[in-house]
Amino acid sequence: MNDPKTGDILIHWEETMKKLLKLTSAVALGAVLGTAAVAQELYAPNLAYRTGPFAATGIPLMNGQADYLNMLNARDGGIGGIKINSEECETGYSTEKGVECYEKTKAKAIVTQPWSTGITLQVLPKTNVDEIPILAPGYGFSPMADGKVFQWAFNTPSGYWDAASMILQYLQGQGDLNGKKIAFLHLDHPYGKEPLPLLEKKAGEMGFELVPIPVGLKEMQNQSAQWLQIRRERPDYVVMWGWGAMNAGAITEAVKTKFPMENFIGVWWSGHDADVKIVGEAGKGYKSISWSFPNPDAPVMADIKKHVVDAGLTQSNEEEMSGVFYSRGIIISAILAEGIAAAQAEFGTAEINASQLRWGLENINMTEERIAELGLDGMVPPFSTSCSNHTGHSGGWMLEWDGSKFVKASDHLMPDTSDYAELIATKAGEYADANAPWPTNDACEG
Amino acid sequence: MFYRTAGQFKTSYKADQALFPVRQDAILLMVILAFAWVVFPLTASEFTFQTLLIPVLIYALAAMGLNILTGFAGQLSLGTAAFMGVGAYACYKLITIFPWMNPIVAIMLSGIFSAGIGVAFGIPSLRIKGFYLAIATLAAQFFLVWLFEKWAWLYNYNASGAIQVPNIEMAGVWISGPQASSITQYYVVLAVVTIMTILCINLTRGTLGRTWKATRDMDIAAELIGINLMKSKLTAFAISSYIVGVSGALFVFMWRGAAEPNLFDIQLSFRVLFIAIIGGLGSIMGNYLGAILIVGLPVVLNIVPSALGIPISSATVEHLNIMIVGALIIFFLIIEPHGLNQLWRLIREKLTIWPFPH
Repeated sequence: MNDPKTGDILIHWEETMKKLLKLTSAVALGAVLGTAAVAQELYAPNLAYRTGPFAATGIPLMNGQADYLNMLNARDGGIGGIKINSEECETGYSTEKGVECYEKTKAKAIVTQPWSTGITLQVLPKTNVDEIPILAPGYGFSPMADGKVFQWAFNTPSGYWDAASMILQYLQGQGDLNGKKIAFLHLDHPYGKEPLPLLEKKAGEMGFELVPIPVGLKEMQNQSAQWLQIRRERPDYVVMWGWGAMNAGAITEAVKTKFPMENFIGVWWSGHDADVKIVGEAGKGYKSISWSFPNPDAPVMADIKKHVVDAGLTQSNEEEMSGVFYSRGIIISAILAEGIAAAQAEFGTAEINASQLRWGLENINMTEERIAELGLDGMVPPFSTSCSNHTGHSGGWMLEWDGSKFVKASDHLMPDTSDYAELIATKAGEYADANAPWPTNDACEG
Repeated sequence: MFYRTAGQFKTSYKADQALFPVRQDAILLMVILAFAWVVFPLTASEFTFQTLLIPVLIYALAAMGLNILTGFAGQLSLGTAAFMGVGAYACYKLITIFPWMNPIVAIMLSGIFSAGIGVAFGIPSLRIKGFYLAIATLAAQFFLVWLFEKWAWLYNYNASGAIQVPNIEMAGVWISGPQASSITQYYVVLAVVTIMTILCINLTRGTLGRTWKATRDMDIAAELIGINLMKSKLTAFAISSYIVGVSGALFVFMWRGAAEPNLFDIQLSFRVLFIAIIGGLGSIMGNYLGAILIVGLPVVLNIVPSALGIPISSATVEHLNIMIVGALIIFFLIIEPHGLNQLWRLIREKLTIWPFPH
């Protein structure tokens, strides 16, 4: 190491580093100054995950979200005459990156869309201090329905307890659940445990036996032990709360162990076309509850095709666009757009801020007529939110895999919210107590 | 020239044994401390605090704990994340059982639980070495994370299975929880990390540190010259786990705000191990350099394209980021397999004798 050459290299290297350092500081300065510039747009960032282990499910959702807002920008010049900047911040589904994205975007953002339960858990208490609405459609924490306690959080149009309630209702319709056995196959993670309090309560009331079967994050792709247990227990139904690789793992394992697919029901995140496509015909009869449905004939799809796909602005493809998850992305953006429009109408300004958007999201009224007006026919059930109800409890449809795509297998199902209104209030109260001082919305009457 | 040591005469043993016998080192450290204590807090934005300053300090502390064990005492451990988890859960239980407890005291106490568990899992090190010991610590990693999931008492029977940091006040200022401001949390972390670093530097220079190094370099020889291997290895496990536990408590209480069991998964262990290896095993400063490279660099790289106005999608940036950081790690390890700390030592040596290479 003592030859002059190495020394030169090192000194040269040090100089390069110095230059780099200068460059980075200049860049950092530029970033600070750059954010100061005011742009005529609404900044609605999305904490997307197009990389990492969950990318396969993330990409169609993100594409649907982006395409809908891009379509509004191209067709109507945005919402209320102002363009929407739906920039993505990549998290790779990692909580650390998610918080980084939240910090990066919160200064200008009118909304935050955290996307993973882990990120939601971290960001939820912060949004209450930073006063930014958090939009978590169909995920997050079920007690977020209590808008008085969770002023800034929205899990419109349906929460996990709605899903559990609708699934039980559907199963009851197939024959009395009394004396039956339901295996609850779930990811061993805050997300998977979410419906347990309600399922346990209903098991006592309806007289069925609940067998919770957790799947660890490391066992997602190899569930032979869990399915061995299912074979031994011989449950009448298997209800699944799965995500990512766990869905495909469970469905292939169910086919392998010849579990009757018509008795296998997943939550909406377990209804991804690609997961069932792996088994194709063998997956026929597999069901998934959902608050969104792909309708290729809806006017919105034609508009997206005209303004986004033909203009070359999409990252999606034909096959993906016919799937459940892409259309769910569209619905999510449509909910956000409705919230923005409601706030603009109320406050008489196009450039709304975060707290005005909060009002907007609390006053969404998605009637059948409005859904038709937006061109979303048959893609989402009608619902409305209020200051005390941040979920809207839209209900949903039971979807069934027909061998090549999901079709509706039931009429519009509505959850029995009175079943868990008390549970929501208790859990929300517990959360507020644990995080005291936690400001609540006492002005809300509803 | 820049680092001329000529003329700095030592006239007493005390001066010769000082922490920084070379004046420039002391000046450089003062500058760094001034930056850390005054300049950064005055200039940093919320984003910088949350994504650069606080995490770099906490990861550096965790790596320092691991470095005591692996770098100084030569006992390879793959269970760092689990020991961080023990610290975090212990702190959570202390705070929820004794709500009147000072949060900083709770953080410091939580390390003791981690130290106890570290010693328990360190006992196999008396019989097994090297890779075999790594496997034994891997057992700690899996067992403890499993325990965090299954033992509901640890997370107060919370339905989601996660722990949430409550808002805690100290002397009228919010210290933890969502109400706390980043600058307060930064100062708490900085104070703890500074104290721990001073402690570590002195420990590794003293009798204990020499005992550890002897054990690391050749344990049979160490035993022959009268070193009690059991004491040496178990103190290394205890002190290392203590520091790692404190870093875990800071990790959740001063930074993340909430934690689920799989946060303390093996990826975190590897991350800390990489910081220690890239920074330089057997060094204190290396931990900081490693943490800056592994934790700080990706954040900076992420903002470069948007700051320069280059239109790339954020997913592409993420892919590029992974490639660049990966390439840099390989680059640094090829240039200097002994880590960034050794690189700095070489630079310093060259500067001392510059412009006359020998």
